[in-house]
Amino acid sequence: MTSLAVHFSGVEKSYPHFKLDSVDLALPRGCVMGFVGPNGAGKSTTIRILMGLVHQDRGEVEALGRAMPDEQVAAKWDIGFFSEDMRLYEQARLDWHMDFMRSIYPGWDPDYATRLLRRFDLNPQQKLKGFSHGQRVKAGLMLTLARRPKLLVLDEPTTGLDPVARSEVLAELMEAMTDEERTILFSSHNTRDVEQLSDLIVFIDRGRIIDARDKETFLESWRRIRLEAPPETALPELSGVAHVKRSGRLAVATANRFDPEMAEAYRQAGAAVQKVEPMTLEEIFVANVQIGRGEAND
Amino acid sequence: MTSFMVRRLIAKDWRFNRGLIGFYIAAGVIALAMIRFGEKIVFYTGGILLISALIGLGIHLTIATVVEERKRKTLPFVMSLPVSFMEYTTAKIMANLLVFLGPWLTLVAGTFVVILGREAIPNGLTPFAVILLLEIFVGYTLILAVALITESEAWTIGAIVATNIFFNLFLFYVSNRPGLAADMKGPTAVWGAEALGIMAVELAAIAVILGLTFFFQSRKKDFL
Repeated sequence: MTSLAVHFSGVEKSYPHFKLDSVDLALPRGCVMGFVGPNGAGKSTTIRILMGLVHQDRGEVEALGRAMPDEQVAAKWDIGFFSEDMRLYEQARLDWHMDFMRSIYPGWDPDYATRLLRRFDLNPQQKLKGFSHGQRVKAGLMLTLARRPKLLVLDEPTTGLDPVARSEVLAELMEAMTDEERTILFSSHNTRDVEQLSDLIVFIDRGRIIDARDKETFLESWRRIRLEAPPETALPELSGVAHVKRSGRLAVATANRFDPEMAEAYRQAGAAVQKVEPMTLEEIFVANVQIGRGEAND
Repeated sequence: MTSFMVRRLIAKDWRFNRGLIGFYIAAGVIALAMIRFGEKIVFYTGGILLISALIGLGIHLTIATVVEERKRKTLPFVMSLPVSFMEYTTAKIMANLLVFLGPWLTLVAGTFVVILGREAIPNGLTPFAVILLLEIFVGYTLILAVALITESEAWTIGAIVATNIFFNLFLFYVSNRPGLAADMKGPTAVWGAEALGIMAVELAAIAVILGLTFFFQSRKKDFL
């Protein structure tokens, strides 16, 4: 059995106005990967390729050791997929959906489903037609989680949720993560959700993976170094500094592979180091995207 | 496992369309009663209602089970299940054919009973009626195929309009065929070469349309 739950190797997919370009991903079993990117970056396309719903033009994809899309049926028995744009049948009640899922999946856990119903405050006798967006998302997640899949693939699960619903969903996902056998891949453009849940973080922009590391490394590697230096002072080009922005006497160096020696190097060049600041994941994400696009000076 | 999932998806479509089927069967039965017992205007109205019920059932089924699945975004839910796109296609075609065939065969049998059981209606109409009912089936499979292949509401509406126009032209063509028209008002049903030939073409058209549907679906690479 492979140790990877998800493996992408050189995956490409072209559309008239978008290209997913040489995507490589490796998600070990039992880990949680946050897949972050702006709208239209290629998150959903990547996830659909993983689920066998879109066929890649080139490259290899494996989910739970199964080659996708060829072995998608066998793989999908163990994959729980939920997408923000997924809808349930409006004309049917939630308990019909539960019966439907139970009739398909032998691993359906009725006690867990009941617990989720209570936690999400869902009425199983209600038709989906009367559900709010938040209730629909929670119902979809309940149906996905109660199957107890080995791999959870969630495409923007918290998009459009109010803070209370978002908190309930995140709490339940954190609960789901306590199962060490379970692997979770979820996409979002909300870095707070990603920071809260993920072990591994992947940034994607314009169809390319621009960075992929574990969360702690991400947070430890990136620093903002605030400098003061006369405009004529030439700041050294340091390895590990992704970008330097100058404005009069002030300068900000953004390091993506921070080393405490950097501050000393700037001092020796004649600059005063005012502050070395940690960056939030959101700041790291934005800096990463802007540097990748060459827009950091804009 | 494959046939298991196909059966589950067929059962789902059956469950969601029970009311629809009941409605069109009721309309068809009313139409047959009008044909059986009505005079002139009621008789002709019954004929039109019968044809409309069958065409309406076909259109309604296709919209409800294929077009709406994509439009209402329930397709991602279905495709998240352990099912391939070809199995999805098989399930959709089988569900539609089974659901359509029930009322269609009921109304075909009813048509036989009414034609053969009523003195005022010449039995010679029977082959003509079968040809028309088969044509409705051909039109239905074409609409279903277009909906499945194009996944487009606009194309499906286009196919509905096209089959409706073709049906009227076909009605005119068949009723004026010398080989058929001569026997239509006769006291006995004549299953001549021309009638059987048209029926064979209709059955072949159904087979070709379904075969092409599977062919085009197998070549698709994006399903959402």
